Amino acid sequence: MSRSKYRIGIDVGGTFTDFVLADMGGRGLRFHKEPSVPGDPSAAVESGIAAMLATHAIAPGDIELIVHGTTIGLNAIIQRRGARMALVVSKGNRDLLEIARLRLPSSYDFTEPREVPLVPRDLVFEIDARMRSDGSILKPLDLEEVAGLAQRLAAAKVEAVAIVLLNAYRDASLEAALGAALRQRLPGVLVTESGLIWPEVREYERGLVAGLNAYIHPLMTRYFDRLKARVDGLGVTAPVYITANNGGTLSLETARARPIDTVLSGPASGVVASTRLGNATGKTRLITFDMGGTSADIAVCQTGAPEFTTATFVGDFPLIMPVVNVGAIGAGGGSVVWVDAQGLLKIGPLSAGADPGPVCYGRGGKEPTLTDCYVTLGIIDPTTFLGGRMVLDTKAARVALEAVADRIGLAGENRAIAAAESALRVASAKMGTEITKLLATAGVDPRQFSLVAYGGAGPTHGNLLAEEAQLTSVTIPTAPGTFCALGAILADVRRDYVRTVRRLIGPNAGARNGWDAVSDAIAALEAEARAWIATEGEIVGETEVAVSFNLRYLGQAYELEVFLPRGPRDGIDDTTVCDLFHIEHERLYGFRESKVPLQTATVRVGVIGKVPAVALPEVPPSLPEPFTHRSVWHKGQPVNTAVYARRDIGAGARIAGPAIVEQLDTTTFILPGWRADADRLGALSITREVAP
Amino acid sequence: MKLDPILVEIFFHKVTAIAEEMAITLQRTARTTYVKEAGDFGTALATPEGRFFAYPKVMGVSGFLDSNVGPALSRIDHLEPGDVILTNHPFESEGLATHMPDLHLIRPIFHEGRIVAHAWDFIHSADIGGGVPSSISPRFSDLYQEGFQIPPVKLVKAGVMNEDVIRLYTANCRTPEVNLGDIKAMLAALQVGEKRVHGLIAQHGLQTFLDAQDDLAEVAASKALAVQKQLPDGTYAFWDLLDDDFNSKVPVRVRCELTAKDGRVHLDFSGTDPQVLAAYNIPTGGQRHPWLTLKLMHFIYSHDKTVPLNHGLFNNITVTAPVGTVVNPEPGAAVGVRSATAIRLNEALVGAMSIARPGLMPAPSGGIMIPSVLVEQDARTGARHVMVLQSLVGGTGARLGADGVDGRDSSLANQRNTPIEKTEEEAEATIVEYALRQDSGGAGRWRGGTGVVFSVRIARYGSAVLGRGMERFVFRPWGMAGGRPAEKARVVVNLGTPKERELGKLDIFYPDPGDVVTIMTPGGGGYGDPLDRPEDDVLRDVEVGYVSREAARRDYGVIITGSGLDRAATDALRTSMRALRGPPPDFDFGPERDAWEQVFDDASMLRINALFMRLGSNVRPQRRRELFERVIPDLPKVGVVPLHEVIGDIDAARRRLSAEIEALAAHVEAMDVAG
Repeated sequence: MSRSKYRIGIDVGGTFTDFVLADMGGRGLRFHKEPSVPGDPSAAVESGIAAMLATHAIAPGDIELIVHGTTIGLNAIIQRRGARMALVVSKGNRDLLEIARLRLPSSYDFTEPREVPLVPRDLVFEIDARMRSDGSILKPLDLEEVAGLAQRLAAAKVEAVAIVLLNAYRDASLEAALGAALRQRLPGVLVTESGLIWPEVREYERGLVAGLNAYIHPLMTRYFDRLKARVDGLGVTAPVYITANNGGTLSLETARARPIDTVLSGPASGVVASTRLGNATGKTRLITFDMGGTSADIAVCQTGAPEFTTATFVGDFPLIMPVVNVGAIGAGGGSVVWVDAQGLLKIGPLSAGADPGPVCYGRGGKEPTLTDCYVTLGIIDPTTFLGGRMVLDTKAARVALEAVADRIGLAGENRAIAAAESALRVASAKMGTEITKLLATAGVDPRQFSLVAYGGAGPTHGNLLAEEAQLTSVTIPTAPGTFCALGAILADVRRDYVRTVRRLIGPNAGARNGWDAVSDAIAALEAEARAWIATEGEIVGETEVAVSFNLRYLGQAYELEVFLPRGPRDGIDDTTVCDLFHIEHERLYGFRESKVPLQTATVRVGVIGKVPAVALPEVPPSLPEPFTHRSVWHKGQPVNTAVYARRDIGAGARIAGPAIVEQLDTTTFILPGWRADADRLGALSITREVAP
Repeated sequence: MKLDPILVEIFFHKVTAIAEEMAITLQRTARTTYVKEAGDFGTALATPEGRFFAYPKVMGVSGFLDSNVGPALSRIDHLEPGDVILTNHPFESEGLATHMPDLHLIRPIFHEGRIVAHAWDFIHSADIGGGVPSSISPRFSDLYQEGFQIPPVKLVKAGVMNEDVIRLYTANCRTPEVNLGDIKAMLAALQVGEKRVHGLIAQHGLQTFLDAQDDLAEVAASKALAVQKQLPDGTYAFWDLLDDDFNSKVPVRVRCELTAKDGRVHLDFSGTDPQVLAAYNIPTGGQRHPWLTLKLMHFIYSHDKTVPLNHGLFNNITVTAPVGTVVNPEPGAAVGVRSATAIRLNEALVGAMSIARPGLMPAPSGGIMIPSVLVEQDARTGARHVMVLQSLVGGTGARLGADGVDGRDSSLANQRNTPIEKTEEEAEATIVEYALRQDSGGAGRWRGGTGVVFSVRIARYGSAVLGRGMERFVFRPWGMAGGRPAEKARVVVNLGTPKERELGKLDIFYPDPGDVVTIMTPGGGGYGDPLDRPEDDVLRDVEVGYVSREAARRDYGVIITGSGLDRAATDALRTSMRALRGPPPDFDFGPERDAWEQVFDDASMLRINALFMRLGSNVRPQRRRELFERVIPDLPKVGVVPLHEVIGDIDAARRRLSAEIEALAAHVEAMDVAG
């Protein structure tokens, strides 16, 4: 037998670092969990890789690829532990971050504070240099002023600098010249130019891309260096890639230069894995549901591919780069169950997190959480939680829930049960409304969608949520607890580019038709993108580009994004683009304006480098038997429920609810009236036995 | 409560989600900028009687929670399934619509033949005809100038669009296509609301749905009452002033008397100035109304963030708003810029609450909203290009425990600004500054937020700069609990050059190419004695530039030199300032209002207004103007010259006022005898 090559996907979470090892010889996937090391996440990465190499007797040289997802950048932004940095802006624009986009977080609540600006006002420096909106220079650099600025920056002892000059999205040369001058005068200081990192119109949002990149730049550089050293130390010679916000991956070198591209990669990887699983099993309309300890993430996929948004948030700050569109809904296993002064039962937003955690963890948690509800109802077995690494205190959970029951007027011996079921109903109702709203935003009907449930609590709550939200099916992947790590090695290399090009196009533009300029801009972006991907390493195979436009009818107040079909663009001209726009406009608004010229605003090019696919392994057929039965409370009654081990479930297995499926990192609950069928990949598909 | 608490909580999430899904649908498919960018729209579900029991938490306008669709529906003889009612009429809808660009739609939701709820939405549409594009100007003196009036009518009758209404409507607005697109979006949102309500009834049953409406209101009322109990029993009066009534420089006074008893609140606006011949009147129908209770809602929600947003929140609030005043004008009054008056009114309410119990509310914000607009002309074609320069607001007021927010203000409309780069894409002009305005926030133990400075360099001949909603040029945002008032607003052309000129409040200004027009907005009022502000906080304000060294010394008694904070000198200065000054006042209005009220004190104003109210509403404005201008002959100069300088000798003015009041009284008496 020839020696296999292997790939390792790694996802760092708050409690555990997850590993997936793919045997490229087709002998399946292996999973591993290593306790995270919050002080130095790369330590857990190192020990986890070492453990997998040892367990599976793999030589370090046989690893061909490591793909790593990290939340270090995101955490640094949320906890404000980034670099001491300066912002350099055009004269008159010093309060870019103070005024921001003017809106405050609440219209009702005057106590809700605004965000703390990324850079304090005394580290924002003005320079009398800027562009005009046509891309010409209004005020050139004054070398003496630059020298003075460099001195002030040196005196301020900053590690990083972001440069945001007005209208630099049209031409970054002025920023680049300033950046070069500062790098020369301030060795060791990392400089980010807004017009180079993301040249899109809107100074605040573009400024934040540059600012956030600079803010995490020193930290991420140090982390990537440490990571590389640890991987090298194991004798692993494989290249390390980092997962990106857009569901793709980036070489370590690119991630080091543009760490902002990686901050939202965690949830994106789960969506990538969901769509791959969906495509393999013929399900393309998905709602992903990643429920962990503190929150749940959801995303809608209508065509079997992750969907992007250019309007998301990183901590307090808007981000305009294309990222996989994932929304957070405020309930995780650790969400606290409480009662307000009027006697209403509330879930969250407070979370007990991993520490102290739910009451049943016995680590000092006093307030009951959703996890305490699962345990009290018998859905989770207290003795096999996390493979028995932690024995749960059922009695403590029950006592805490009895206190809740007393406050909402429930009585009797089983009042903790009633309180737990009520809490799960409220949680499901809350999450269900979030799903409805997300689908309304996309303008689609929930009934056609399948829920893909993963994360530690996703499989436990997925069926409850589907019942409440009137969804028709729930898919549980084979290893729901390490699904994001799997997504990392399923992803292709991808980076996005943007230009702002405001031109009239289409048959109605007449002599003012500026399609040539638009088309030149796309060609230039594509050339830049292809030059970049050529340097992204040997793992990159076939490449393709994805082109999209933001457009509007001339004089209209809003833009729509339209996507060109993938593949060669021969024969695609402005008429094609206009037609795509008319169709999308008609879909959303019910009409088109065929006599008005179209105006372009933003052009985006995504370059995708295909990475040879990891085959999702098939499982042999088997018809499982329950290894035990236990009583699970449902709708106020104890129900005798069959309990299965996930490893016993093979292709073609059918399990009728009520049933429990246990595995190392999660518990799947199948409701009465539903049944689960295992497909050839071993994924469980839970559907209604009878129509509601 | 009729239902168990779990069901109530579940219904809270579900009905809120319906209102939010309606908002998502509306915003996704609407067409005007007002909806898309500014979020000037609303959606809700109303009880069969017409009060809102479900309202979005984050989308659209927050301020209309206390609206009532009942009066508009009562104008319709017979409602049947599939009907949709349209209105924009401030008086026929009894204050549901508060100016006419706001289009309101109501769809009664039937279940087995009876109305079980109503779906409602509104948008601020692009144009409804009238004297100017976009239909709003303070200069309009009656409703007819403000555009096309639509009393409640059936836009859709039993599911069939009433094309006659559409034809009339589209013939009377400048942007019919855009408006029609918006109406379609609104209809789609109502349909979503109806469909979801039917789904809810199918899942939970009709009685549960109806019970939940009552229970949710009861929860809100009980939570609100608990917060309201922080107001000690008693009666508290306060007032604030609009700079002028547009047609003259006579200020407009809004007076609020708050009576609290066991948490129940009554607001009496008697004694407020008569309605004006400008678009500053607030159509409330004389009943409890969103514009009258806005700050109470902020108060309640800020003190209990778990209160469900529904009409129950207002259950323990009543109002008196006498007809003929600016807070309840007679039918036909102009109302387009009612928000300017509403801001002052709500600041008066804040004042009354703060007398009752200091510390409950923040000091007033900059208190203005200026959508500044630039018009550029093409030299060859003469084509005019109109664009928004910037949405300008001041800072928020300081409050017990926190400084105000600099350069932003969510208290009335929480809109987004326009990026400089977007403005410059459209305009030839250059934005040379958009920054915080140093020293404009009221000094205090907690500092008021600063206003902003916005400067534009004009490029083209024939350009014009417009800015409606300009206020606080005469009277300052006041300080509270020992805090100092903020800086007033200013408009200056060519600031800091030999050609500098103070423009005062402007409606429209025609600059030359090369001119730099600068608009400065007021800061928020300060809270608490500035001499109590920790000197290190003052030092930090100076380091980051919110406060100048001179102001640190003058207002805070803190001495900062090139080498930093001089603690010893600061201690000495603060001690001597305290001794000289004595205890600071509870409310510090600044010299302008102090001087004004030494002449026109509350008793005199109540007397004058009582007399004026006996004259016809169209007679009052001219008589008022004459009276005030005879008492203060230089009044027309105010704005560029500060009010206290215009007033001059207070005693002389008081004497003139007494004579005027006697003359007015004699006239009114004589008229009554004759009549």
